[in-house]
Amino acid sequence: MTDPSRLRTSSAAEPAIVLAGVRKSYGRTVAVRNLSLEIPRGELFAFIGPNGAGKTTTIKMIVGLLRPDDGFVQVCGHPIGSNGLAAKARLAYVPDQPFIYDKLTGREFLYFVAEMFGIPTLQRDRKLGALIRRLDIGEFLDHLTESYSHGMKQKVVLAAAMLHDPAVLVIDEPMVGLDPRTVRSVKNLFTEHTRGGGTIFMSTHTLDIAESLADRIGIIHRGELIAVGTLDQLKTQARREHSLEDVFLQLTEVGDE
Amino acid sequence: MSEAPALDATESKLGLLLRARGRAVVNRVAQAVHDAPIRLVAAVLLIGLIWFGLYGLFRLVFVQLSRTPLEATVAIPLVFNFFFVAMLALLTFSNAIIAYGALFGKSESPYLLTLPIAPLDVVTLKYLECLALSSWSLILLGLPMMFAMAATSEEPIFYLFFLAFFLAFIPIPGAIGLLLAWGVARFFPRRATRAVTLLTAVGLTAVIVTGLRSLQIGETATEVWLRAFLTRMSFVQSALLPNNWVAAGIDHAVNGQFPVSFRYLGVTLANAFFLSWVGVRIVSGYFDTAYDRASAGPGGERRSAAEASGGAAGWVFFYLPLPLRLIAAKDLRTFCRDPAQWSQLTILFGLLVLYLTNMPTLRLEFSASGWFLFIPFLNLCAVSLILATFTCRFVFPLVSLEGQKLWLMGVLPLPRGRVLLAKFAFSMTVTLLVAVGAMSLAAFMLNLDMVWTAIHLLVTMAICFGLCGFSVGIGARLPMFGQTNVARIASGLGGTTNLLASVALVAIVLTGVGLATWQSRYLSANTLPDARSLLLCATAALTSIAAGCAALWVGAKHFNRVEV
Repeated sequence: MTDPSRLRTSSAAEPAIVLAGVRKSYGRTVAVRNLSLEIPRGELFAFIGPNGAGKTTTIKMIVGLLRPDDGFVQVCGHPIGSNGLAAKARLAYVPDQPFIYDKLTGREFLYFVAEMFGIPTLQRDRKLGALIRRLDIGEFLDHLTESYSHGMKQKVVLAAAMLHDPAVLVIDEPMVGLDPRTVRSVKNLFTEHTRGGGTIFMSTHTLDIAESLADRIGIIHRGELIAVGTLDQLKTQARREHSLEDVFLQLTEVGDE
Repeated sequence: MSEAPALDATESKLGLLLRARGRAVVNRVAQAVHDAPIRLVAAVLLIGLIWFGLYGLFRLVFVQLSRTPLEATVAIPLVFNFFFVAMLALLTFSNAIIAYGALFGKSESPYLLTLPIAPLDVVTLKYLECLALSSWSLILLGLPMMFAMAATSEEPIFYLFFLAFFLAFIPIPGAIGLLLAWGVARFFPRRATRAVTLLTAVGLTAVIVTGLRSLQIGETATEVWLRAFLTRMSFVQSALLPNNWVAAGIDHAVNGQFPVSFRYLGVTLANAFFLSWVGVRIVSGYFDTAYDRASAGPGGERRSAAEASGGAAGWVFFYLPLPLRLIAAKDLRTFCRDPAQWSQLTILFGLLVLYLTNMPTLRLEFSASGWFLFIPFLNLCAVSLILATFTCRFVFPLVSLEGQKLWLMGVLPLPRGRVLLAKFAFSMTVTLLVAVGAMSLAAFMLNLDMVWTAIHLLVTMAICFGLCGFSVGIGARLPMFGQTNVARIASGLGGTTNLLASVALVAIVLTGVGLATWQSRYLSANTLPDARSLLLCATAALTSIAAGCAALWVGAKHFNRVEV
């Protein structure tokens, strides 16, 4: 495995996420093989692929939940490997099944996250007020989270993720369980975040969201990154003129052959 | 977007994590007081009952011993020694299981690992949680023992010493359990973990069985037996074992020798701190690799194993029609693949079998005194209460767990009531196999005559029927369909109702059999019971069957109408 200590120190020009020659296997099954990818700051990157293609494994390696068997992962110039606290301080992660302490209220949970990231009280209240309005979570924020529906939990976890203005937001299926109004708010939130210099790594099966939001799209199939680029570049590669869905089906079909 | 976050990523977050835990506990207690005061009172009363029972037992032992001061000098430290060596084994095992779930489970750990928290803080938090959960031993077992012992001691400061020793002792098995859990995650792939858990449980049981077997050295209550017993168990008094430091320290405190006791306390504390430090440092230092291995190791069941369990299920439920057999087989597979379920059943009944196989030493005395039915009746009580615990914890949630897949049951060409019948058949089969097996073994060990053996077996079957009927019926009448956590389903309103109803049913049935036992107390071992005793037992058994049928009927009626 490459030694991340040889890498340069962090700077503004450093890519937000670097995956270099990453490989991960579960026993004899190789989930991700030789994955190399750089995502610059201020980009919304959509990561798509069929079920079991290696999307979640890649995400778990980016956020430090799994260690690559080979290669390395960096976030904002900091290695995410063993004890990657500096990288994690710049990260926020929203999994497809979000974790939330069920015996805390939504507000208590958000205060906990704010304190975890060292956000001063005034700044926390200001930021939280804005997120409460945009995500429409004020009505239930003082109830225990065990009574929340999936959509309500997703909104609170999204608010927690955005609370500390993360340099890199990694998100798995962001729109599942959200009502149309909140989907619109979340889309706007993502756009503003990337305009402000933040980076979003989004894994999704909802191809229209990837198509409408992403600056670049990566397609992973059977653990290999088979295509990466803007929508136009992918259309050229697939020799398809129509939607991302056509491109996706064409490229993953070719990958099967 | 923050380019340089304000936080110091290296700063300890343990205080924040503990405060969040504290807040959650406060919310939980407030919720329990507000939403389920009856359940809270029932829990406190049940704990109080167990507590006073143990206090009475310990007090009996200590008062008995204090009547013969010379023997007490030798025996009391031994009692403490055995007590703490048992605690050492039990707490190590339970801490290992709790620590594994807490550190490598799928809920909180993955979340904490993505936050800027040092692994040292995460591991310390989980270790402290394990220690807090271990403190049940202090409240349930330690305090009754302390108060019982205090009745024979004239030194009021003894209380302080006892508490200090107990608190100093708990981290020792806690740290060993933490290291064991980490070792399993770090060095065994996921498929092997279940096998390791089973092997550990079997190994622990084998050690206890061998230990207790070694005590069966001829007839009890003789000097020869006592000498042989003390010789064989001398390893327990090794100066290197923590149970010996605690036992010696408490014994010196009882006798007012506080400087010596204080020295033992120092040794225990120093070892507790050292082991805790070593455990937390090692586990946190290699936590990410252990977590990675635990979550990324090869999972899933081999096809051959799945086919084997399917075949076994088909054989066990041969008497059911195919659709019901399929549902029962599905429940059996779920049971076999959930270590929390089968391991608890194995431990509960393993301990029971252990006790039953060690009864022959009591046989002669009881048959001679005309009380030959007393011990079998106590066995029936123990089996019934364990059955009630098992059905409330594991059978009751079966219907609720179908909640999210109820549409599947709805589209099957099968009336919903028959789904309940399949659940009932599954739980009856499992509980009957275990309970009838345990009671048969008990009867064999006590050389109980055929008529009383048949009576006890029939009553056991009736209790199984009643308890399973209650758990399935009340589970269908008061389900918690949105919930997937078995523990939460079992502790909800329906679960509490089921617990109270099951305890009441067991009490009623055992009262009937108890009266029959009392009626027959002057009979010799080979005399048949009189008609009145038979009638009492039959009434008790029929009551249980009728109650089970009624609960099933009420549950089926509701289940047929329910919409999810």
